[in-house]
Amino acid sequence: MAERRAWAAWSEWGDLALDALREIRAHKLRSVLTLFGIVFGVASVVSMTSLSSALEDMAYDELQRMGMPRTFRLVDRGPRSDVSRAEELRHVGLSLGDIDALTRLRGVAATFGRNFAGRQLASTELDQRVIPIVGVDAAYLRFRNWPIVRGRELAPLDIMNASRVAVIGEELVKPFFGSAEPIGRTIQLDGVRFRVIGVVAPIELELVPADFSFLARRIYVPYTYVTRYYRGRRRVDDVMLKVADDFDFPKVMLAGATLLRQRHRGSEDFEIENEAADLASDLAMADNVLAGWSIVLFTIAGVTLIVGGVGLFSVLLISVRERVREIGIRMALGADGPDIRRLFLVESMILALLGAVLGVAGGTGLVMVTEAIAAGFGRDFFVPVHLPGAVAAVLFALVVGVVFGWYPASRAARLNPIEAIREL
Amino acid sequence: MPLIEARGLTKVYRLGRVDVPALRGIDLEVHEGEYVAITGPSGSGKSTLMHILGCLDSPTSGSYRLDGRDVSGLRGRALAHVRNRKVGFVFQTFNLMPRMTTDENVALPLQYRGGISRRARLRRARALLERLGLGERIGHRPDELSGGELQRVAVARALIGEPAILLIDEPTGNLDSKAGAEVLKTFREVHDAGNTIVLVTHDPNVAAEAARTIRLVDGEVAA
Ligand SMILES: Nc1ncnc2c1ncn2[C@@H]1O[C@H](COP(=O)(O)OP(=O)(O)OP(=O)(O)O)[C@@H](O)[C@H]1O
Ligand SMILES: [Mg+2]
Repeated sequence: MAERRAWAAWSEWGDLALDALREIRAHKLRSVLTLFGIVFGVASVVSMTSLSSALEDMAYDELQRMGMPRTFRLVDRGPRSDVSRAEELRHVGLSLGDIDALTRLRGVAATFGRNFAGRQLASTELDQRVIPIVGVDAAYLRFRNWPIVRGRELAPLDIMNASRVAVIGEELVKPFFGSAEPIGRTIQLDGVRFRVIGVVAPIELELVPADFSFLARRIYVPYTYVTRYYRGRRRVDDVMLKVADDFDFPKVMLAGATLLRQRHRGSEDFEIENEAADLASDLAMADNVLAGWSIVLFTIAGVTLIVGGVGLFSVLLISVRERVREIGIRMALGADGPDIRRLFLVESMILALLGAVLGVAGGTGLVMVTEAIAAGFGRDFFVPVHLPGAVAAVLFALVVGVVFGWYPASRAARLNPIEAIREL
Repeated sequence: MPLIEARGLTKVYRLGRVDVPALRGIDLEVHEGEYVAITGPSGSGKSTLMHILGCLDSPTSGSYRLDGRDVSGLRGRALAHVRNRKVGFVFQTFNLMPRMTTDENVALPLQYRGGISRRARLRRARALLERLGLGERIGHRPDELSGGELQRVAVARALIGEPAILLIDEPTGNLDSKAGAEVLKTFREVHDAGNTIVLVTHDPNVAAEAARTIRLVDGEVAA
């Protein structure tokens, strides 16, 4: 019985939809013009949410690319002025032995030692300038996703032998070697001859507001060489530890720090740096910026939709006025106020829904145009249609249809049948 | 018990500051199966009375019982439901929906009764149109029909809900004599089938069809 009633209710909506479609068909041009605002509103919501979510994904990817998940650094504090003389004497510093011990620690997948040699004079036949020299570990550049554009990067053997080989930043190729092939050539660093084995390019970021171009203005040499020849005391500036996937990150971090403290006879002469955590907070900040953008875009789209609603409102008012006689006839045949209100509300909702559907199609089109333009510039920019955005836009359009249809529909419902028919 | 039982019906229209009395105390009884004509000069209140009898309007004072129920106090929705179930109203200008076909027009009152599927409504409408000799006109729009046909479609629409009473305002006012005769024949058939008819007319020939004539003058029943 209840089922029967539910079915009857549905079929009543079907009747109303039929009436509304008949009316819309009879005024095609007017209906289409009415819908413009809603079509634009929905199209902008769909395209903007799609674009912003695609950008968000790309930014996230970039951060992931430059990020070093599950890594931390142990950094030598260095001689400090703010500690007592006694404390200063207890400073041991990171050694190559420390790095060996850390590498053997359970849960540590890899270690990368690093030593800054500071700014040194670099020279070839063509040029000489002062360049920051950084001592790094084998495979460190690849680990950081810094692209080696020519040659190779530092290998374990180079580190073991503290070889005099260098990977130079891309921007240094031209001044030091002109247009000639740099690989295999010699560059003097602080008077010592190094063989160039590779060229590193800056990591390319399009969305994350970070400048990594400095990578291309440095020279990278084995950190063991820096330890041996630039530092008297065989010390290392810092070591990066990569935690194995199946180990608990904080536990390994703690174990690494504990091991180092033991080896330094209890001296707290190092710091733990968690760049991954710093990056996560960068990511959160980027998310915030994008969320701010989304709010702005949504507001614009929402205003467009509401303007569309106003258009719908005025056309419905005209429609009610035109159909006063029809309303009167329906009332004479037994339609009550709510019946008449439903008649116009359904028309309003169908118009809004029609606008929303056209808007989703239009928004999808805009997104595809954006992709095509990006492709024209040689960019691979894949923008999937943002489904929640599209759904939200359609629902919002429906709400606009109800809200702006309500007053005209209620006005129709309040008509007096006799006055509405008024036989002439 | 009479089908229509009106006592002291008055209707006062308010035009700006002046009250225009359209009905000044009408007593009227119509029994089931009757065929009644209301005549009277223009402005005597015939249409006003029909609107009240048809529950399209409510009286300023007086009581009105329709099919045993006092409806003079009803307003809005309640009145709409009485209209839908008890009254079949045929307008002088037919008032068909121009964008609907004849059968859709005839089926319309059933839509507001609720609970009848569109298919069932249209089936009933077509059967009724066939019965009234309009089978050929099913599926046509009003602008394709002659005046007499329009009048009969309007009658079909008034009858579809099986109302207690059929109210017809000026049925031949917009028709030529041939179409008028055709329509009168339809009324006769409908009446013979057991329906109660009250119609308003200026035409003595139409009034002559009815078993009883009531004459209105200045909003009152003339002796
Ligand atoms: N809505 C209205 N507002 C004000 N006065 C009205 C209204 N409707 C009717 N009247 C007046 O009430 C009186 C009765 O009108 P009504 O239409 O009932 O007459 P009628 O007998 O149907 O006339 P006709 O034969 O010309 O159709 C007339 O004086 C008319 O001017
Ligand atoms: Mg009249």
